[in-house]
Amino acid sequence: MNTASPALRLSALRKSFGRPAVDGLDLTVRRGELYALLGPNGAGKTTTLRMVTGLLAPDEGNVDVLGIDLARDPAGAKRGMAYLPDEPLLYGKLKPTEYLEFVAGLWGIRAQDAEPRARHLLDWLDLTQHAHELTEGFSRGMKQKLALAGALIHDPELLILDEPLTGLDAAAARQVKDLLVSHVDKGGTVILTTHILEVAERLAQRIGIIRQGRLIAEGTLAELRARTQGGSLEDVFLQLTEGQAG
Amino acid sequence: MSAAPGSIPWLLGHELRLAWYGAGRNMSGKRGRGRIGMIVGIVFAAVMHLVAFAALRALGHDGMNDGFLAIPLTAVLVVCATFMLSSALTGCVTALFERGDLDLLLSSPLPSRTVFAVRLLGIAAATATPYLLLAGPFANVALVLGHPGWLGLYVIIGACAMVMACAGMLLTLALVRLLGARRTRVVAQVMGAIAGALLFLLSQAYNLTRHDGSTGPWLLGLLANQHVFGPDSALWLPGRAILGAPGPLLGALVLAALAFALTVGRTHRFFVHGLQQAAGAGRVRARPADALRFRFRGSLFDTVVVKEWRLIARDPHLIAQVLLQLIYLVPLLFPILRDNTTGPALGAGLALLCGSLTASLAWIVISGEDAPDLLLSAPAPRRTLQLAKLAAATMPALLLVALPLLWMIVHAPLTGLLFAFSISAAVLSAGLIVLWTGRPAPRSDFKMRAKGNFLSTMLEMTSSLCWGGLGWLLVALATDGSTWMLFASAAVLAAGLGVMVVAWLLRRSPM
Repeated sequence: MNTASPALRLSALRKSFGRPAVDGLDLTVRRGELYALLGPNGAGKTTTLRMVTGLLAPDEGNVDVLGIDLARDPAGAKRGMAYLPDEPLLYGKLKPTEYLEFVAGLWGIRAQDAEPRARHLLDWLDLTQHAHELTEGFSRGMKQKLALAGALIHDPELLILDEPLTGLDAAAARQVKDLLVSHVDKGGTVILTTHILEVAERLAQRIGIIRQGRLIAEGTLAELRARTQGGSLEDVFLQLTEGQAG
Repeated sequence: MSAAPGSIPWLLGHELRLAWYGAGRNMSGKRGRGRIGMIVGIVFAAVMHLVAFAALRALGHDGMNDGFLAIPLTAVLVVCATFMLSSALTGCVTALFERGDLDLLLSSPLPSRTVFAVRLLGIAAATATPYLLLAGPFANVALVLGHPGWLGLYVIIGACAMVMACAGMLLTLALVRLLGARRTRVVAQVMGAIAGALLFLLSQAYNLTRHDGSTGPWLLGLLANQHVFGPDSALWLPGRAILGAPGPLLGALVLAALAFALTVGRTHRFFVHGLQQAAGAGRVRARPADALRFRFRGSLFDTVVVKEWRLIARDPHLIAQVLLQLIYLVPLLFPILRDNTTGPALGAGLALLCGSLTASLAWIVISGEDAPDLLLSAPAPRRTLQLAKLAAATMPALLLVALPLLWMIVHAPLTGLLFAFSISAAVLSAGLIVLWTGRPAPRSDFKMRAKGNFLSTMLEMTSSLCWGGLGWLLVALATDGSTWMLFASAAVLAAGLGVMVVAWLLRRSPM
C-alpha cells in the first residue's frame, strides 16, 4: 500500500441514471483527516460513496483508495476500507456475535485478531448484553451500532459513513462521534455525509459541498466562510447551494 | 356515498384499496407490464369460461340437475377447504407477525374490534379469491345455461373461506396462548403446510398398506351398510348447497356469520394481546456478558455456508415452505420401504423433487441475500462466495436423499448409481440456474418467486424434468435395454445440457 498517496482520490468521476448523478467529480481526501461531504438531497453524495466502495461501477473516471486503483484491484482497495450505509447492512436472523463472525470472515480476519476486537467493540458500543439476541428485534440505534462494529472489526484505515447519525439517540450519537474522532486521532481517515450540519461543523477538518454531482466548494470551515458572507456552516451551505441554484 | 370514517365499511374500503394496489404490483411489478397483467387476467377468465362451458355442456341439462352431482362437488369442496385452512393459517401468521399498518391502526382511536373484524374479513377474502377465480366461471356459465342455482358456488366458497379464516385465527391465537408467540410462528406455519398437504398424505396412506385389496372395500361396505354414503346423506349437504339448495345454502351462510361474529366478539382483545406478544417475539432473554462466545471459522467458504444455514433455520416461514416440499417427498419413499422395489419412476420423482427443493433453497440464499451490498463492499473473492452459496443450497437436498440412495446402491448397485447421477445433476443444475439467472429480491417474496422471474422458473422446471426423465430412461434402459431408450436418453441428456447452456447465456452479473 502506497502510504504517500491520499486516502481517496476521485478523478473525473461520472455516473448517470438517465440524468447525471455524479458529473465529473474530482475529489481528494488526505490520510488522517475527517472529511465531510455535504449537499442537498439528490446531490450525488450516496452515488459517489457507492462508487468508492465498489457497489456501483462509474461510467467514467477513476477511484483510487489508499493508493490502489479500485478498478484494477478491487479486493486490495476494499481491504483497507469500511462502508457504513444509511440503512445498516444486517441480517435480522443473526445474533451480533454471529454477524461479527461473518463480517470478519468476509474480510479474512484471523480468529485470534477478530475475537478480542469483536469483544471490545460489543462492549464499547453497549451491545454485549444483547449479544445473544437476533438483530431483527433491535432498535434503529442498536442496529446502527452493530453495523458500525461490523465496519470496524477489520480495523480499516478508511472509514466511509453515509448519514451515520440517523435515528440515533443522544448517547449513541455521542458514542459514534467520539469513535470517529478517535479513529482519526489514531491516524485513520473518515469520510462522512450528513444533513446535520453541526456535526460537520464540529468534527470535520475539511468540508466538500456537492450539488448536481459536482463539487462546488471545498475547504476548512474558515475557508468556506471566507468565500461567503460568513456565519454558521448552515449559512455558508445555504448560500453556496442556493446561490448556484437555477 | 362514502362510509363514515372509522366504521367497518370505511376500513374495509381502505383494505380493499391496499389489496388492489398489492395485486397490481404482484401482477406487473412495473407500470408498463400492468396492462399485460390485465390482458393475461382477461385471457385466463375467458379460457376458464370456455372450459366451464365445455364441461357443463358435456354434463347436459339433466346432469346439472342430478342429485348425485352433490357427491363429487362435496369431495372437491373438502379438498379446497384443507387448502383454504392452509392459506388462512399463513394469513393469520402474517397478520400477527408481519404487522404492516396494524401499528398505525391500533394506535388510532379505532376500536380493536373493528380492526380485528376487518383484518379477519381480509384474510377470508384473500383465502377465497383464488377459488372464486377458478370456480366462478362454472357458476356464470351455469347461469347462462339456465341453472341459476349454481350461483350458490360463490356463496359456498365465501362461507367456507370465512369458516376456515376463523378456524385459522382461533388456532393461531390458541397457539400463542399455549406456546407463546415465538413458537407459534413456527408451529402455525408448519401446521399450515401440513394442512395443505393433508389430503395428499392421506391419499398416500394406501401406499403404506399391503395391496391385498381388503381394506378399501371393507371400509366402503361398512359405510354403505350404515347408509352414510347414500344420495340423501347429510354428508353431501355442501354439494347440494353449491347446486343452490336453499336450506343448505342458508345453513352455510348462518354458519359463516356465526363463526365470524363469535370469533370477532370473543377474541378481538386476545388478538391485540397476541400482537403485543408477537412484537416481542424476535427478542430472546439477554445472557450475562461472560457467556459471550465466538466461533470464528478458518475459511470464508465455511463462514458463508454456516451463515446461510443459520438464516434458513431461523426463518419459520421459509421452513414451512420447504417442509411442504419435503412432505410431498416422503410418500415417494414408501414404495421402496414397503415393496423392496426401485422402479424408474421413483428415481425420476426424487430427481424432480430434489431439483425443486434445491431451486427454492438457491433462491433463498442467492436471490434473497439480505445484505448484498455488504458482500460487494467486502474484499472477499466473488467466486468463493458463489461456490459457498451454491454449496449451502445444494447440500441439504443431497443430504436428504443420501440415506435412501445408499440403501438403493447396496440393494441394486446399478439402479442406485443411476439414481445418484440423475439426482445430483438435477440438484446441481437447479442451483446453477438460480445462480446464473436469479434476480435479487427480498426473502419475503419467496412465495412469489415464480412470478418474479418466470424465465428462471421455467428453466428450473425444464431442467428438473430433463434430469428426472433421464434417470427414468437410464434405469429402464438398464433393465429393459430397448434401442429407442438409448436414443431417448441421449436426446433428454442433450435437452438437459441445452437448458444449462441457455441459462449460462442468460446469466446476470451475480450478487
